[in-house]
Amino acid sequence: MAAEAVIVDAQVAPGHDGAAELVLRLRHPNGADEVVSVDAEVGFRLMQSCGVADVGGLAGHPWRRMINGG
Amino acid sequence: MFDVVIRNGSIIDGSGKAAFAGDLAIKDGRIAAVGKVEGEAARTIDALGKAVAPGFIDPHTHFDVQLLWDGAARPALEHGVTAVVPGNCSLSLAPLRAADRAKVVGMFQQIEEMPPEAFTQAFDWTWEDFAGYRDALAGKLQVNVAPLVGHSVIRLWVMGEAAQKRAATAQEIGRMQDLLRACLDAGAIGLSTSFVDLDEHGWPVPSRFAEYAELDALCAVLGEYGRMLQCVPEFYAMDLTIARIDQLAELSLRHDIPTTFSPLFDSAQAPESAPRAIARVEEQFARGARVWPQMQTRPIDLSFSLLRPSLFFARLPRWVRILRQPLEARLASLRDPETSQKMVADLGPDGGQLMMGHLVVRGGDAAPAALVGRTLGEIAAERGQAPARALIDLSLENGLDVAFLAASMGHAATDRIGPMLAHPLVHVGASDGGAHLASFATYGDTGYLFSEFVRASGALSLEQAVRKITADTADIWGLKDRGRLQPGAHADVVIFDPSTIARGAERPVFDMPGDGMRYTRDAVGVDTVLVNGEVAFEAGRYTETRSGVFCV
Repeated sequence: MAAEAVIVDAQVAPGHDGAAELVLRLRHPNGADEVVSVDAEVGFRLMQSCGVADVGGLAGHPWRRMINGG
Repeated sequence: MFDVVIRNGSIIDGSGKAAFAGDLAIKDGRIAAVGKVEGEAARTIDALGKAVAPGFIDPHTHFDVQLLWDGAARPALEHGVTAVVPGNCSLSLAPLRAADRAKVVGMFQQIEEMPPEAFTQAFDWTWEDFAGYRDALAGKLQVNVAPLVGHSVIRLWVMGEAAQKRAATAQEIGRMQDLLRACLDAGAIGLSTSFVDLDEHGWPVPSRFAEYAELDALCAVLGEYGRMLQCVPEFYAMDLTIARIDQLAELSLRHDIPTTFSPLFDSAQAPESAPRAIARVEEQFARGARVWPQMQTRPIDLSFSLLRPSLFFARLPRWVRILRQPLEARLASLRDPETSQKMVADLGPDGGQLMMGHLVVRGGDAAPAALVGRTLGEIAAERGQAPARALIDLSLENGLDVAFLAASMGHAATDRIGPMLAHPLVHVGASDGGAHLASFATYGDTGYLFSEFVRASGALSLEQAVRKITADTADIWGLKDRGRLQPGAHADVVIFDPSTIARGAERPVFDMPGDGMRYTRDAVGVDTVLVNGEVAFEAGRYTETRSGVFCV
C-alpha cells in the first residue's frame, strides 16, 4: 500500500454551530500535519470503520478509512 | 435649532483617538457638531457618565427574513447595533422568482432554523427582484441595512434547477453579471458566496457548483462598483481556508475589491490554525490585497440532547452505541434498568460529576421551567442521583427533548483571542445574527467585546474596541458617512455605560412567527440608540420610529 495520511490525534470540540465535532490531526507521509474537523455523523462512521469504540482509539488509523469505510 | 443635542457625554468618535468630554448635536438626521455645542435643541439627552459612540455595525447577519416583520432586528438594536449586513453565505431573499421561493426557503431554514410560518404568515411576498425586496423593507426599518446579494440566488435565477447540478456556460455567466449589476444598482453592498453550506436535503447550495471563471466574472462586476465579496471558506480544514484566502487575494487584486471571509475562530484542539490564517492574511495585505477575516467575540457553547447522537459522548462506547440506535430502540435501552445502570457505571465513581455536573439545562424545549438554567450537578444532588443518572432520567421524563449546554467550550481563551481581535487586520464580526435560532443566541457580541476584552482582560482599550465595530467596519465595507461621530456623518449613535455594557444571559423566547422559539440575549448597559438622528431605543424600550434605511 502507498504511504498515506494517518490520524495521529482525535479530540472532541464544539463546532461553529454548537454541536460537538471531531477534530482530527492527520500526518502526511512527508511529515506535514493537517487538522480537519468532521461532524457527528462522519465522526461516528469513522469510528465504526476503524473498529474503535472510543475516539482515543483513532490514533494510528489511516485517514483513508473515512473515505472508503475501511 | 438642533433636533437633538446629547450633552455631557464622553465622546468616543470611532476614530480610535482618546475619549473626550463633550456634546453632540444632530440636525436633519446628520451630525451637526461635536465638542462644545451652543444652542438649543428640540430634545436634549443628558449623557453624563456615559460613553457616546457611533452606532455599532454588524457585518455578518441573516436578518433577511426577520427584517420584514421586525425592522429593529431585535435584539440587535438594543445592543447598540444601528446597521446590519444581511444576505451572507450566498443566500438572500432577492432576486428570487416566485417559483423558486420554496427552494430558497429550505436553504434559509437549514441555516437560520426559522419556523416555516416565518415565510408564510409574517409578510406579503410581493417582490422578485432586488429593488422589490428593498421596497418591501422601505418604511419598516429601525436599523440601517446594507444587504449583500447571494450568489446562490443569482445562480438560481439564471440557471433554474441546473444551478445545483453543473457549471455555468459563458452565456449564463454573462446573465449573472447583468443580474448582479441590477442588484448593486438597487442597493446591494456586495456579493456573498459559500463553499460550505448545504440545503435542507443535504445537497450543496448553488454557489458551490460555480467554477472559478464564474466567480471571477462576478467579481469583475463588483470591481465596477468597488463592492465587497463575502465568502464562507472550508473552515473545517485550515489548509483549504488558506487556499481560499489566496484565491480571495487574487480576486481582490485583480478587480480592486475588498473581500471578507468568516468564520475564523480559535481552537484549543488546533491552536495553530487561527494564527496561520492571520499570518496568511498579513502576507496578502502586504501584496496589496484586501482579505478581511471575520472573528466573533463570543465563545462557542456546546449543546446536545439525547434526541440525536452527540460526539459529547465519544469517549463512552456504551453510550455511543445506545444513543445511535433508532429512537424506539434507544428509548427501550434507556428505560431498561440494567442497561442504564451500566451506562451510569461507565462514568466511574463520581457518577459523571466531572464530565456532566457542569452541564446546564436549557430552556425552549420540553425541559421543566423550574430546571432551566440550573446545572445538572445541582439537580442531581436534589434528586439524590448521580449526574449521569439524572441526565438519563430527566431526558426520559421529557421525551428526550431536554437540551444540555456546556458553556464556553470553544473559542474561549481570552488571552489568545484578545490580541487577535485587536489585530489591525482582523475584522470583528461573524455574529450570525438572525441565524441558528434554535441552537444558540447570536446577539450581544458587541457587549461581550466590552465586558470581556476591554474591562476584564484589557486586550483592547475602550476607544479601540469602539473603532473596531464602527469606523473600521464602515471603512472595510465602504459605508459612506457611517461609523464616525463627525460633522456631516449620519447620526447613528449609541449611548452606553462603559462600566457595565455586556450581554445578558441566554434565554429562550417564543417570538418568532407561529410562536417559534429562539434563544436570545438582552442588552446590558445600553441606554439610548439613535438611528439617523431619531431615538430608536431608550430606557429599555423600543420606540416607534422607522428611521432605518438601505445604506451603502
